[in-house]
Amino acid sequence: MSQHHILALFNNFDEAEAAVAELRASTIKGFSFDDLIMKSPIEHPEVESVLGERSANVQWFTLFGALFGGITAFTLIAGSQGNFFAQLKGGKPIIPIPADLVLTYEMFILGGVYITVLGFLICAGLPARRSKLYSSNVSEDQVGLLVKVEASAAATIKSIFTKHQALEIQEEAGK
Amino acid sequence: MSVSNMLENWSKFRHMHPVDDKPHEEYKWAMSIDLDACSGCNACSVACYAENNLPVVGKQKFDAGQQMHWMRIERYWDDDGREFPDQGAQFLPMLCQQCEAAPCETVCPVGATNHTADGLNSQVYNRCIGSRYCSANCPFKVRYFNWYDYPTTDNVWPAEMTQQLNPDVTVRGKGVMEKCTFCVQRLERAKNNARTEGRLVHDGEVQTACQQACPTGAITFGNLVEPESKIARQWAHQQVELAARDKQAKDEQEGGSDLRGYRIFEELRAYPSVMYLERVRESAI
Amino acid sequence: MEKDIRESIEWAKINGDVLKSLESPRPLFWVILVVALSMFGVGVGCEVYQYQIGMGVANLNNPQVWGLYIATFIFWIGMSHSGTLLSAILHLMHADWRKPIYRFAEAMTTFSLMTAGLFVMVHLGRLWQFYYAVPYPNERWVWPNFQSPLLWDAMAIFTYLSSSVIFLFIGMIPDLAICRDHLHPGWRKKLYTVLALGWEGTDRQWRNFRVTYLTVACFLIPLAVSVHSIVASDFAMSQQPGWHVTSFPPYFVAGALYSGCAAIITLFVILRYVFKFEEYMTLPILKKIVRLTFAIAMVWTYLNAVEFASVWYSHDEASKAVLIQKATGIYAPFWWMMNFCGSVVPFVMMIKRFQTSIPVMFAVSLLLNLGMWLERWMIVSPTFSHGYYPYLWDNNQWPTLVQWGIVFGSFGWFTLLFMGFCKLFPSVSMYEVKEMVYHRSLANKHVEQSLTMNVNELEEKGAH
Repeated sequence: MSQHHILALFNNFDEAEAAVAELRASTIKGFSFDDLIMKSPIEHPEVESVLGERSANVQWFTLFGALFGGITAFTLIAGSQGNFFAQLKGGKPIIPIPADLVLTYEMFILGGVYITVLGFLICAGLPARRSKLYSSNVSEDQVGLLVKVEASAAATIKSIFTKHQALEIQEEAGK
Repeated sequence: MSVSNMLENWSKFRHMHPVDDKPHEEYKWAMSIDLDACSGCNACSVACYAENNLPVVGKQKFDAGQQMHWMRIERYWDDDGREFPDQGAQFLPMLCQQCEAAPCETVCPVGATNHTADGLNSQVYNRCIGSRYCSANCPFKVRYFNWYDYPTTDNVWPAEMTQQLNPDVTVRGKGVMEKCTFCVQRLERAKNNARTEGRLVHDGEVQTACQQACPTGAITFGNLVEPESKIARQWAHQQVELAARDKQAKDEQEGGSDLRGYRIFEELRAYPSVMYLERVRESAI
Repeated sequence: MEKDIRESIEWAKINGDVLKSLESPRPLFWVILVVALSMFGVGVGCEVYQYQIGMGVANLNNPQVWGLYIATFIFWIGMSHSGTLLSAILHLMHADWRKPIYRFAEAMTTFSLMTAGLFVMVHLGRLWQFYYAVPYPNERWVWPNFQSPLLWDAMAIFTYLSSSVIFLFIGMIPDLAICRDHLHPGWRKKLYTVLALGWEGTDRQWRNFRVTYLTVACFLIPLAVSVHSIVASDFAMSQQPGWHVTSFPPYFVAGALYSGCAAIITLFVILRYVFKFEEYMTLPILKKIVRLTFAIAMVWTYLNAVEFASVWYSHDEASKAVLIQKATGIYAPFWWMMNFCGSVVPFVMMIKRFQTSIPVMFAVSLLLNLGMWLERWMIVSPTFSHGYYPYLWDNNQWPTLVQWGIVFGSFGWFTLLFMGFCKLFPSVSMYEVKEMVYHRSLANKHVEQSLTMNVNELEEKGAH
């Protein structure tokens, strides 16, 4: 069964939103709503809400990164102080807790930030090659809807897009 | 491995020297300087220059405050209206106080200055990167920085003077902090000799260069751990305790103490290893 | 009330205006670049000389071991605070007027941190051995001293610099995609293609982007506060009179925000003029920054007074002596000037007429930063000339041309990096200005709707 990619560009969010709502309500054979991707020039949580619940899991990376950074820092620092026995400082113990906590705190943040960004790249699937159906208008002022459907459903989908004043519809047959 | 080491020896690593640590074993080098005997002759300072290969920086750099005298003779004048030379000069030889809890040690970013097992405040020249934080945090300002590459500078050691450089002591290049070591080269030699012979260093067996050169015998030096040594007896007699917090017990008595011994800036809790005896006190500043 | 931004700006025009700033520069840009380059050249010359001969050429001496290098180091660290910290705080507070100005403010953070990093190096006596301060594994198991506030500094600056760069980069990805899509082919297009990481603005990307940006912003606020607190610890954790002050960390953080805000105003004016960003860097936004700066100036003034008071009413003779010496000794002119610039000059910002006057605010922002720079100097040097030890009192070392040259050169270096950035990357966030425009027009629509509804209701009532 051959699959078609269809990209429709809309002039504003309202039209795109209406198109999404209709697609969501409809039951077209050979089209799954999860295969709908919305491309927009700005971050827009209200519009994304019409897509329903889609997950973002970056925060778990953050939690792991921060804990990992902090624990590693304290272990490594205190461990190296313990091993470097010649480093006695009068007036302070060899492993001074307050001083080590300062560095632990810094590493806690460092780990948090780094792993969060790693998580972002993994969750957002970046870096990636751009999909073939990409219009640079999306980075200017238009909203794009990209769907993957079976060839049989393509016409129906296209008619829905046209109904909602899509400016342009690109289509590509692919696997 | 490092974690298990840490857990096994946790209590050892949490000991704070010197206040709740065990005292030094075998050796704790200490000094006392009797200011009532000091005549301000500068012999100690000269001896130090000779012993420790200190660069002679010349008039201009001395004026700029870039001199390297590990042992400096400070002059204080009476402030009672008399003119020089009747102004009543008082002298104070100042050198690194080899603090037990040295403010310089904790702030060094690379750990170039540390507390040694025999109670010295060591300076590792090779490790020093010249951040000068140690000097910034020293209450006595007895640390000297190599502002120039002195060994290669002209006239620091004129031709024949190079003959008197001490082969036991390294010369320091530019960008390194240095300070009085209590003549650590002499201490090490004495300790090695003693170890070879299976004994401890006798009292009086090792002298610092300044002590050796002092014509009035104002400087006493020795091992504070050995109770019968001259230095230990002197400290005990003056009731100056090495790890006393804030004030010595004798100073806390009503009316103060008649004893002459004190350490400079005791209230900063650096626990210096040099005891001074009377003469310059606050009244003179 | 005037609007922060015109809601009817076409989105394509936003792209066009900002992208234009990346293309063939105006002659003024080249003038600035050449001036900056020659300033930097002076600094490099001085540093090479100092490296060859030794730190002595800076006329530092034995009690006076730190000088302008450390003072300027703190100045640049402080300068870095406003960009990322304010951007993060305003982001969390949904203050959308930050959107046209945050990009260059964050770039300012990054570059002033890089400049500050240079001062650490310049200051070191043996800078060829600086890697000793890095905890790298080695055969002898020799480690740096983790107790030293200087090491915390190094760690904090590394964390802050890399996190700021990441924050800046993450926030710029959608804009890089715009650059990729709309610039003419060439090496820059290739660069943007790589840096944009294949961003397409899909809902999945935006969703994760939103969470990430927010999370990193959350991390950056405590981080920025900790960084300047740690810099303050260099002094507060030492034992010296005039430095050993408990209130130093908040005092430093306030001073940092203060100088950073003043620098934002300076750069705001320059960018607005050089790149013709009048449409985005509007006067109402300037007014908002000015008000913020004034508030921070008052916080700083208060903490400054607290520091003096806590020293004055303490029983610490030595600290008191340092304070008296600051006000009456050789440093007195600078000390009074610092107080004047830091606490009196900001009152100009209270006058409404001046809040949106570009020349006045430009001059004030420069004066504020002069005051802040003097503040750092007045923290560092007086303590050395009147510390604990009486024998070394009145040891006053006037910095030589070498020190001044390197300080001077650092400004050139900063300008060089900053102007380079503005030419290579969009210094106004395009996608966020679009968001701002969109949300404002949406809000307007709601207001209009409710207004017409009210009118209709009224008419209906009237009809009855």
